[in-house]
Amino acid sequence: MRRAAPLLTSIIFALVVLGLVMLYSTSSARTVTPHFYLQRQASWLLVAVLAGVLVAYLDYHVWQRLVYPLAFVTILLLVLVLIPGIGTEINGSSRWLRFGGMGFQPSELAKLLVIVGMSVYMSRFGHRSGEFKLGFFYPILAMGAVCALVALEPDYGTTVMVGLVGMAVMFAGGTRLFYVLGGGTLGMSFIAVVVYFNRNRLGRILAFLYPDENPVQAYHLNQSLSSFYLGGALGVGLGNSIQKRFYLPEAHTDFILAIIAEELGLIATMLVLLLFVGYFLCGMTISARAPDPFGRLLGFGVTMMICMQAAINMVVVTGLGPTKGLPLPFISYGGSSLVLSIMMSAVLLSIARTTLRSDEGTLRAIKDRGRHV
Amino acid sequence: MNDRRMLGRFGVCAAGFLLLAAGLGARLAFLHLGPHEARRERLDQLRQFHEEISGRRGEIFDRSGPGNILAMDLPVKNVCANPSVILASNAVASVASQLAELLSLDVDAVAVKLNQPGRRYVRVQRFAEADLAAQVDASGLPGVYLEDSNVRHYPYGSFLCHVLGFVNYEGGGSAGVEQRLNNDLKGQSGVMEGRVNAFRQEVYLSRGLYEPGREGHSVELTIDRQVQYIVEKVIDGLMQEYTPMGAWCIVQNVKTGEILAMVSRPAFDLNKFFEADPQVRLNRSIGINYEPGSTLKSATFAAALNEGIVTQNTVFDCENGAWYYKGKLLRDAHSYGKLTVAEGLLKSSNIMTAKISLMLGNDRLYKYLRAFGMGEPSGIDLPGEEPGIFHPPSKWYGISPTRIPIGQGIATTALQVLGIYCTIANAGYRMKPYVVKRITDPDGRLVFEAQPEVVARVIRPDTAALMCELLAKVTEEGGTGRRAGIEDMRVAGKTGTAQKPVRGGYSPTDYIASFVGFLPADDPEIGIIVVADTPKPVHTGGRVAAPAFAAIAVDVSRYLGLQIFNADVATSDVVLPD
Repeated sequence: MRRAAPLLTSIIFALVVLGLVMLYSTSSARTVTPHFYLQRQASWLLVAVLAGVLVAYLDYHVWQRLVYPLAFVTILLLVLVLIPGIGTEINGSSRWLRFGGMGFQPSELAKLLVIVGMSVYMSRFGHRSGEFKLGFFYPILAMGAVCALVALEPDYGTTVMVGLVGMAVMFAGGTRLFYVLGGGTLGMSFIAVVVYFNRNRLGRILAFLYPDENPVQAYHLNQSLSSFYLGGALGVGLGNSIQKRFYLPEAHTDFILAIIAEELGLIATMLVLLLFVGYFLCGMTISARAPDPFGRLLGFGVTMMICMQAAINMVVVTGLGPTKGLPLPFISYGGSSLVLSIMMSAVLLSIARTTLRSDEGTLRAIKDRGRHV
Repeated sequence: MNDRRMLGRFGVCAAGFLLLAAGLGARLAFLHLGPHEARRERLDQLRQFHEEISGRRGEIFDRSGPGNILAMDLPVKNVCANPSVILASNAVASVASQLAELLSLDVDAVAVKLNQPGRRYVRVQRFAEADLAAQVDASGLPGVYLEDSNVRHYPYGSFLCHVLGFVNYEGGGSAGVEQRLNNDLKGQSGVMEGRVNAFRQEVYLSRGLYEPGREGHSVELTIDRQVQYIVEKVIDGLMQEYTPMGAWCIVQNVKTGEILAMVSRPAFDLNKFFEADPQVRLNRSIGINYEPGSTLKSATFAAALNEGIVTQNTVFDCENGAWYYKGKLLRDAHSYGKLTVAEGLLKSSNIMTAKISLMLGNDRLYKYLRAFGMGEPSGIDLPGEEPGIFHPPSKWYGISPTRIPIGQGIATTALQVLGIYCTIANAGYRMKPYVVKRITDPDGRLVFEAQPEVVARVIRPDTAALMCELLAKVTEEGGTGRRAGIEDMRVAGKTGTAQKPVRGGYSPTDYIASFVGFLPADDPEIGIIVVADTPKPVHTGGRVAAPAFAAIAVDVSRYLGLQIFNADVATSDVVLPD
């Protein structure tokens, strides 16, 4: 436990550094000004570190008080981004709010909101979580509203992520497995219907299922797999990727792992996987040792969010699942993702710090306030 | 919900995640380490580009060197298109109409070319002019681009066309010097290899292989542009005056065998070689076998004199123009009684030549004519040379010994006939004719330089000198070739008027008229032969070819400095103003 927090910090540091190096290698081959993406990512990293330090030094219980303002701001931004003229539309999706040349994705904030909101709710009603209404219906309704807003952008990857992690927190918080599975099935059916009526998304699914019959849609996946083939065990060498030269779309964002695979080989991709496994173990350790149910659920939510997102990204990049737009935390280019990933990790560090102080007896025992509501 | 249950549920989720991670690890290992060698090679190939860099073809100059370029490579642009791109952007109609308008082509033809799904390359127009190419480039039409290429250009069009030859679309020399020296002239194409990004642009610093193309060797001919010009002008005049089916002419340096000019008519524009008929492309100077007629008599006379069978003063009875030999009548153009050998050559008596030949005997006649080069290619460095038709005595007919010496029953090329006279003019030494003087590589280093080559010594110098003297009389008053004579210089030569062979005999109306000779007669420098195929209305060598010979001889001898400038002519009859 004592070592979990420093280890987690080191893992995050390693991922961020690898991310910056690979982002520079990848993006510089695709732009006229080679430092363009690196500079932006570095600026966002500065913001992220400042926010992270602040969050890490705050008592994580502050999120219990912040949940309503956070909800208000997030939902406001999620609505704003849907309004044409305010939200910026790229590739048919309005996901970005732009100000001063920097873009921000409110859906990233939605991830934090769902984790915090669900943790607050489940820790408060944990003793009645077995009931249908309190344990399942109300929280899934609230979460569904947020998910619906994200899905409207549309951003199905994040919708699935948010729904998945939200339900994982519900499950950990005591909701019956039957309800969770039922809710999950309902959600998946809903998404299946939406996808069925969306040619673009349906194409991706079909390309995944029948790549030979959909060569155009399968192009993206084939290019991604080609990178792995080319990389081999040791890779073609840092900077030597040919796939990043416009063969592989989204090489510096969602598919950056493919470029890591090509340039640095199995050694590096396995390292990335192990780093996330390490992150998961540290995160779970910190969560499990948290002094109160809110801390445990909050830490669990954060860990699941970061690690599941990484896992799903890798599933997509390695061709085990249909193509969808999810960044690899800490590594892919994208300011909002980086800031939120580091802020959420900082929540884990905050939990660890609080736990440590309570173990040392310097902090008063925290009452489980949920029971008295 | 108590803590233990919550931790239990944590454990369930953790187990799920770790299972997923294990699966991912296995997948990563498979993707990286699986048996993907073939895929890797294919991907490497797909991301490579391989481009040939064409090496420029060498230039061809006349004998004065790089100042006079007769053939050169010009860099040009081909307008190309990628039909799959154009089809994908659904713009066949608009691209076709705009391209057709720019390049003045037929819209439908262009549209058909562009409308080929599955093809990535079509050439819309070869060799677009520079300003048109620039317009195409600026038009920004989808899938349309320019390709670098070289086109062979002949600055003087039809000038020297049969000697130069041309280069086909595949870049191979297809006639003349271009064909014979193709291996020297053609550049060595280079190779470029590297990696390309998805837009097929070369990746910076990825060049794996770069071998620049190497320019071909340059060729200097023995042809003199001025002499060639003089000859072409005169032969064109002959063509207009006598409308023959063809005319050809060669000017040769008798001492070295260098060809100074070689003309064949009809001619064609080398830059539009594809429009010319094969009959027009034929280099008649070396590519047509014809019966030489009287021009061959000199060889018989020279042989007899060289053997000492006759002297110039030996008298023959010319039978008043009609002589039966083995039941066949042989006639002279005019009837003569008794003539000396010198007079017989002057008058071109068939009967005397036949009698001399009979004294010489078949074997010696054959030996001498072979030594003069009959019946075998001269070995000139041009493709398409005919060897002539000259059978050995074993295959001769009964009257052949009286007909072959007067140029019937034997076929030669003009170059072979000229060779007889150049041999006589060169003290009996037969030189090998050639048109390539020097070959140099792009750095100016000498690759090849022609050296005069003696093929045979046919007659003694004193016989040769006597023949020169006798032949010089032919162009004087009373000779058949008096129209070949020029002022202030003695010219030696011989006329030839041969009936064209037709099925079953000789044509009564169609003749090949020729004149061959050399000058100055006293110290010969150049030999000239002029041949006209079926001239009308007059048909004799003395009337058709001799004047053309004289016209060439005057200008060429002045140009080469053989004839001293006559100050009296230039200054007489000039009235200076007071």
